[in-house]
Amino acid sequence: MKWSYIGAIVVGAYFLFPLYVLFLLAFNSPTFTILARYPALLPISLTLNNLVVSLQGSAFIDPLIKSLETATLVGVITLILAVPAGYGLSRLPRTVAYPILVLLLVTNMMPAIVIGIPIAVEFIKLHLFESVVGLALAQTLITLPLATFILQGTFSSIPQDLENQARVDGAGLLRRLFSILLPIAAPGIAAAFLISWMFSWDEFTYAILLIPFHSTLPVTIYSDVTRGNLLAGVAFSLVFTLPVIVLTFALQKYLRGEYLAGGIKG
Amino acid sequence: MKLTPFLLVLPAVGYIVAFSFFPTVDAVYLSFQDPHGGLSLHNYQELTYFNIGGAVLDTVLVTVGALLIQLALGFLVASVLSREFFGKKALSTITIIPMGVATVVAAITFSFIFQTSGGYANTIIHSLFGTNVNWYQTSLSSLIVVMLADSWKNTPIVSLILLAGMSSIPRELYYSAAIDGAGPFRRFVHITLPNLRSFIGVALILRGVQEFNIFALPLILIGDHPPLLTTLVYNLYTTTFPEVGLALAAATVLLGFILVFMGVVIKLTGGRST
Repeated sequence: MKWSYIGAIVVGAYFLFPLYVLFLLAFNSPTFTILARYPALLPISLTLNNLVVSLQGSAFIDPLIKSLETATLVGVITLILAVPAGYGLSRLPRTVAYPILVLLLVTNMMPAIVIGIPIAVEFIKLHLFESVVGLALAQTLITLPLATFILQGTFSSIPQDLENQARVDGAGLLRRLFSILLPIAAPGIAAAFLISWMFSWDEFTYAILLIPFHSTLPVTIYSDVTRGNLLAGVAFSLVFTLPVIVLTFALQKYLRGEYLAGGIKG
Repeated sequence: MKLTPFLLVLPAVGYIVAFSFFPTVDAVYLSFQDPHGGLSLHNYQELTYFNIGGAVLDTVLVTVGALLIQLALGFLVASVLSREFFGKKALSTITIIPMGVATVVAAITFSFIFQTSGGYANTIIHSLFGTNVNWYQTSLSSLIVVMLADSWKNTPIVSLILLAGMSSIPRELYYSAAIDGAGPFRRFVHITLPNLRSFIGVALILRGVQEFNIFALPLILIGDHPPLLTTLVYNLYTTTFPEVGLALAAATVLLGFILVFMGVVIKLTGGRST
């Protein structure tokens, strides 16, 4: 029992310390954080001034809007492709569905930096460079396999009998989809959307390759920090992190090992 | 077999293949093109001037190091969470928080913790020992900072997978081993590890591939001192654009390593058992 507590305290401290540092950086007065050689470990002079100064004006709003647009677009494109695919895979025999899922997940492992460069070159020709649509199309490559996998699981759990019943009663595919399947699958669909949204919100590699100049928040934070605009970088980081932490808690049910491992276990 | 499910799956598969396989093939092909349009190893020869060997070595080092740290911490977290104690729910919530923190944010926070002089880690060390550590003194220590930051962000996913595996091991195995006199260490080596083989494999594949691809963290924490394969690719890309041959040659090297790594892990953990 004793060991559990020691372990729990060590683990808890390790996971919480960087968050605590982020909190100090955001709310302590700069003299005790970025300007100090040995920054204070305690919240000695809390202020909202850092946030107020940094978050004013378009320096923050523009990348925020870009991030929101991209993430939402990624979620939508992903669902348009993944809902039919997930349903289709759930109705195919395992021997066919399994290799297709593996193919999708293997592509998921292709390095973004390898794929991103030829895509950037093409996008310049197609005038999709520096555009939200182009970035969303690229990020969908990461989210689509994952979403398809989640939705395949969701649709598989809906009894085939239910659908057959409706078919006997004369409902066509679209009718079955909209009045039976989609309502039952709604939680899975919502999870797939939110996970895609989160991935895009976080995504850095495609963003810096495809929208290097007026980019999304992660790239903006990166360039702020490299240009020495530290306070802004920290303030943006905090605002940027909060929605994702909230989403992570909301999705805790779906972030399970069985689920993550299941993709390869089948 | 009916046709409709196939037609429904087709757009997604088509999308992935078109936008992921073709650019990859394109990247490999372009990397073999010399400035005159012929096929040659020109770009690869050029790469040797940019210390490609060092980048490969450092990438492998970071990958192996980070995987070891994450497995060790993952086991610690999973074995703590597989017991029952007061506050378990709170702790399991805390351990998934890093999943919700963006890589960029994690990198910036760690850059404030580990600075060349001062920083939060040094505040602690300074108040205890009165000295100051330069975390970026050597390339190895710089790489260790990257590994630590990466492990903070990614241990949760490893521990979730290991936890799932541990909860699938029957308790009776541990009881009978304990009765036969096996201590905690031997129980871990002889019961936990063998039973978790496929779960460890899954964790290694998922994390290992991402580890080779690690990009935002080293870019923010150490720039290209020393370069990893990804930061080398990015630097070559930004400095030689619109010529991308050199960057793509480095990218192809990276791709090769990832494919080899996937093959090795699948072989080692027995692909058929998973």
